[in-house]
Amino acid sequence: MAPKAAAGKEKLVDDDEEVLQAVILADSFNKRFKPLTADKPRCLLPICNAPLLDWTLESLALAGVQEVFVICRSHADQIKAALQNSKWSRPASGLKIVPILTARETLSPGDAMRDIYTHGIIAGDFVLVYGDLVSNVRIDEVVRVHKARRRTNKDAIMTIVVKEAGTTHRTRSRGESAVFVLDRDTAECLHYEPVSGYPPKTLARIPREVLDEHPDIEIRNDLIDCGIDVCSVEVPSLFQDNFDYADIRRDFVHGVLTSDLLMKNIHCYVAREGYAARVQDTRSYDAISKDILSRWTFPLVPDDNHPGDVAYEHLRGNKYLPKDNSVVLSRTCKVGRNTLIGPASQIFADAQVAASTLGARCTVGARAVVRDSYLGDDVVVGAGCVIENSIVGAGVHVGAGTRIARGALVADGVRLGAGSRLLPFERVSRRRPVKEDGEEDGAEEEESDDDSEIEEAEENQTQLSSLLGPDSDAFVWPRKSGKGGNEDEDELENFNNARLMRLGKFRDDFADLDLSDPGSVTSSSGDSDESSDDDSVIQNFSPSSSTTSLPFAAAAISAGEHAKESEFRSEVRQSLERAFAEGHALDNAAVELKTLRMASNVPLARVREAVVERVVESIALVDGAGPQRVEIKRWVDRWGPLVRLIGGVDGVETVSILQAHCAGSSRLPLFGQILAAFYQNDIVEEDDIRAWHAQPAAKGAGLKEGPQLENMQKTWLVGARMIHQFNEQESSEEESSEAEESGEGSEEAEDASEDEDEDKEDEEDEEDEDDEDDEDGDKE
Amino acid sequence: MDFEESSSTKLASREFLAVVLAGFGNELLPLTSDHGDEPCPKALLPIANRPMIDYPLTWLEQSGITEVLLICPTAHRSRISHHIHSDTSSSSYPSLHVDVQTYDETQNLTVGTCTVLKHFSHRIQQDFVLLPCDFIPPAGLTLTSLLNKYRIESHLDGAIVTACWYQAQRPEKGAVPEDWGSAPTAIPIVWDRQSGTLLHVDTLDDLDRNGEELELRMSLLSRYARTSLSSRYQDSHVYVCKKSVLDVLHRKAEFDSFREEFVPWLCKLHYQRTKQQKYSKTLQPSQANVSQVLALRHSTLYSGLTYGGHHPPDDSTDSPTHKPMPLSGPPSPIGHIDDGIPAVSLRVGLIVHEGGFAGRANNLPTLLELNRHFLSLTTYALPTDPENRSLINVKSQISNDSMVGTSTKVGERTTIKRSVIGKHCVIGRSVRIVGCILLDHCVVGDGAKLDGSILGKNTKVGAKAELVRCLTQAGYEVDAAGSFKHEKLEISDWTAGRDEDAGNEESDSGGDDETDEEE
Repeated sequence: MAPKAAAGKEKLVDDDEEVLQAVILADSFNKRFKPLTADKPRCLLPICNAPLLDWTLESLALAGVQEVFVICRSHADQIKAALQNSKWSRPASGLKIVPILTARETLSPGDAMRDIYTHGIIAGDFVLVYGDLVSNVRIDEVVRVHKARRRTNKDAIMTIVVKEAGTTHRTRSRGESAVFVLDRDTAECLHYEPVSGYPPKTLARIPREVLDEHPDIEIRNDLIDCGIDVCSVEVPSLFQDNFDYADIRRDFVHGVLTSDLLMKNIHCYVAREGYAARVQDTRSYDAISKDILSRWTFPLVPDDNHPGDVAYEHLRGNKYLPKDNSVVLSRTCKVGRNTLIGPASQIFADAQVAASTLGARCTVGARAVVRDSYLGDDVVVGAGCVIENSIVGAGVHVGAGTRIARGALVADGVRLGAGSRLLPFERVSRRRPVKEDGEEDGAEEEESDDDSEIEEAEENQTQLSSLLGPDSDAFVWPRKSGKGGNEDEDELENFNNARLMRLGKFRDDFADLDLSDPGSVTSSSGDSDESSDDDSVIQNFSPSSSTTSLPFAAAAISAGEHAKESEFRSEVRQSLERAFAEGHALDNAAVELKTLRMASNVPLARVREAVVERVVESIALVDGAGPQRVEIKRWVDRWGPLVRLIGGVDGVETVSILQAHCAGSSRLPLFGQILAAFYQNDIVEEDDIRAWHAQPAAKGAGLKEGPQLENMQKTWLVGARMIHQFNEQESSEEESSEAEESGEGSEEAEDASEDEDEDKEDEEDEEDEDDEDDEDGDKE
Repeated sequence: MDFEESSSTKLASREFLAVVLAGFGNELLPLTSDHGDEPCPKALLPIANRPMIDYPLTWLEQSGITEVLLICPTAHRSRISHHIHSDTSSSSYPSLHVDVQTYDETQNLTVGTCTVLKHFSHRIQQDFVLLPCDFIPPAGLTLTSLLNKYRIESHLDGAIVTACWYQAQRPEKGAVPEDWGSAPTAIPIVWDRQSGTLLHVDTLDDLDRNGEELELRMSLLSRYARTSLSSRYQDSHVYVCKKSVLDVLHRKAEFDSFREEFVPWLCKLHYQRTKQQKYSKTLQPSQANVSQVLALRHSTLYSGLTYGGHHPPDDSTDSPTHKPMPLSGPPSPIGHIDDGIPAVSLRVGLIVHEGGFAGRANNLPTLLELNRHFLSLTTYALPTDPENRSLINVKSQISNDSMVGTSTKVGERTTIKRSVIGKHCVIGRSVRIVGCILLDHCVVGDGAKLDGSILGKNTKVGAKAELVRCLTQAGYEVDAAGSFKHEKLEISDWTAGRDEDAGNEESDSGGDDETDEEE
């Protein structure tokens, strides 16, 4: 097919009205949508109820492209079938679409370009796009500019379409963006600086030599790379010559601009009008869906030019309903703004749907809430479910009362039993039968290198899926941890950077990622100003919430672990708060914590820290010793045992944690009372307290001067007093036991309990004194 | 009319103090070397027959500033103060009160501008304008426009300095002999066009650290997503500064040069958080003047308000910047950036002047260039008063683009083209002067030929001597029929009269980068 196309081309090239060719790279070359892309390619994922590829084709048709080559790699048969069935293959479509299969070894856009070269299908200037583009930019205008430039400058081989936006624009990928250095007058791209979100980039380096010839330069950090390139015919051959070019931007553009030999120029076209963006990750999926619904992509909107075959009606508040009146809405249901509801869907009483898209034939049960989420076709949402900020594939059955937290991805066909709970950013796919044979032909996204991951997940499946309800048919994917990733993993795809590209990420979620300049660490060193340049790279990441971490823990751990741990910490906090508020059973809460721990792979001590912290902080500060005592008892009695239930009993550590937490918290005066309460609930033993007290760290050894040290010492003194009491009791106990030596052993138990009661009172008195002492101390 | 003038003058006088720095002018050697025991202050070197200090002082006069603190080396004091208080010059800046102060330094051992400023900081009690003595302001730029920008921005968002850069002239090749030193190359700066903010000045340190690449902080680029990087401008060394800048200067003892070190550092205060926290107290920026802010917010013309990430709301909240449909999109998850930016920016404002000739006469090529520029503006006419008129021989030819000072005598059949002749010169007969600058009191013997040269004060050129692209020290005497090309003629020993090896001095002058600073 390819040679034929080329032959047909040649005749036309000479004509003034050259046929405009386009190449669509219908493969993403990454796995950001896993597991949604397990059984179908990304370009066939629906966005606003039409496959991405159709949006792309629509965009190209709008731009006057006449001939399109679709480079397919994974699930090529599906893409071919989709193309054949789409309206584009009808004779009157005006688009000639040629699917081209490439080898499975095509691992990068660069490989695909080399493939294009070998096929010899390109005759002239062509438009290169990805199969996940949504655009209404006049690409023909870009082509015209490009050709005009080519007439005077043969070396201008490529024009990149970029869109003006702000630095923090929602469709601008936070994890993967770039700084363009352009000539002010000619828009020639002089330098391309890729920027990754994590680890944060601190310096942009612009070669000085560009200044020699270009006295006026603009540095643009506000451009969205639309992934639309108008290329000249020699571009594929350049890829062929430089076999190490993989990525079009980071390798090709960078290579061409830095090469002293090639002497080629690349220009940018800064689109001021129109809309163009790529669905590069789940985050941009969310952003672009919302952009379509709020009509930025006009004329590509659901009620006009919708690539799917359904005609929608645009209602006030950007709600879209099918024109055929097939949707059944209950009288009491609520449909919010920016919502698209597919044909034949049903929404039952008191259900709420807002800022979401629903596929065809979806059912939303009574009292269910669907917010900021994207549901595929035939999804059944049971009564009372809550789905937030998630993508749910086609045919998913969500049992009643299920909660799907933000950022979750649910692949096609999954059954979630009633009452399931998906944690934030959980990824779930259908439980796969034991190693089916058909795996080779499908599922490129999760082949070979993922096998180990899957196996590992299988082992933990009981752990991971413990929150799923009965009758679930789901496979919970393990969460990737910060350091576990493969060595050869792409820099851009590293865990922390990928986090920036996930759906459902709001500003506070990044607090743990240290996105400000690392130079800030040295800022305490006073005079060395030059090195102490601290500047938060992205202004609006509030750094405030990092205060949840304990001071001594935070210092020791490295950035990556730190990131993971504080994410974990915030999730533990949420989970516990929910448990406290909703009064879960202790066992359930413990299971949830264990799952979280498994998922994030953090040491047990961190879990204990988090639990102690939560319990202590939940105790309200009440005036008066009596009510305060009651308050403490209430919390510790109810939730204290959780510390034991999470496993790995270590009383000494518990006391240390309690101490460290109290020393840095407003609950400092309560330390003695809480410790006593712990003791009474058998969370810590007497020996533990003694062992803790003997540790040098308990006295605050190794801490710097400051309030923390003072508080540590104060708490240590409280402990000392308590031990003193123990000693006294022991001696009295000894006395009494000596006295009753002849008595029966069975009485001892009673004695003990009596003693305990006494202890309690003693301690409480003691504590009251302590409180006073503390207050005195404060006054001093 | 009268009323208006007097009121504005009073207002400005309380507001600003002008600090004019005059140095030795080591880049202008040998023109600035001593004439016997008499110094030749750089500030008094004429450009188009006017001492260069007159240009900034006149500029100050026009802006309404009256208080001037002129700082010069001790040795120069009497001559400079004599000039400033003389009748002729005070007529061009009648309302200025110039306070001439001195600091001790010698031509070989000079101190940095920062040190000088620190030394005199007790005399600076208000916001001040720092000027060099050698800046020749362009016709289209008034100091008032700088002051106004400073006035607005220091109140509005706490700007601390307003700087002024001008488009550098690219001298034609071969116009100036290479050994005169090259015109200063333009310094790359990063600045925000919209709000007029200087963000980064490429310093020599930066160049040392990374000679291949220009390093910019991402924090800068995310705050100013669209910035300009230009390498066609030069620093005029005119800064309108907040008084508290001096306090910061006291805290930064290691800085020597105001232009090369301190200002680039000050730029960083705006966007580097720790620095800002550290110094914002010292700077004590005035609280935003509420009424003015409100007024400017309602102004349709003032665009500077939206500096940095302060995009207009629809830019950050809604999706694309240009709305294809007037429908509001869902709120962006990013939200407003406004709350992240402190009210006080501590930024360095910038005025970039394009078009119109400007320059700092702190090296020989620009000195020549500036003189030629003024020549091109004037047309020569014979003096009208009979006394001067009689000194110019009728048979001499003086081209239109020349300038001849008062009381200068020009002999018979002498040709003068594209040249500036100072006052009280005596030009003999059949002399040919092309493209030269003759300072005051020069004597040129009969039949001499001068081409592209600059003659210092009191230079005596013997008959039939020939000078091509030479420089002479003040008081130098060229022997009759002597011929020199591309030489710097200096008096190594006053009694010896003439010195052949000018090369030594030249290399000295080349190395003295710092001195240039004070001027």
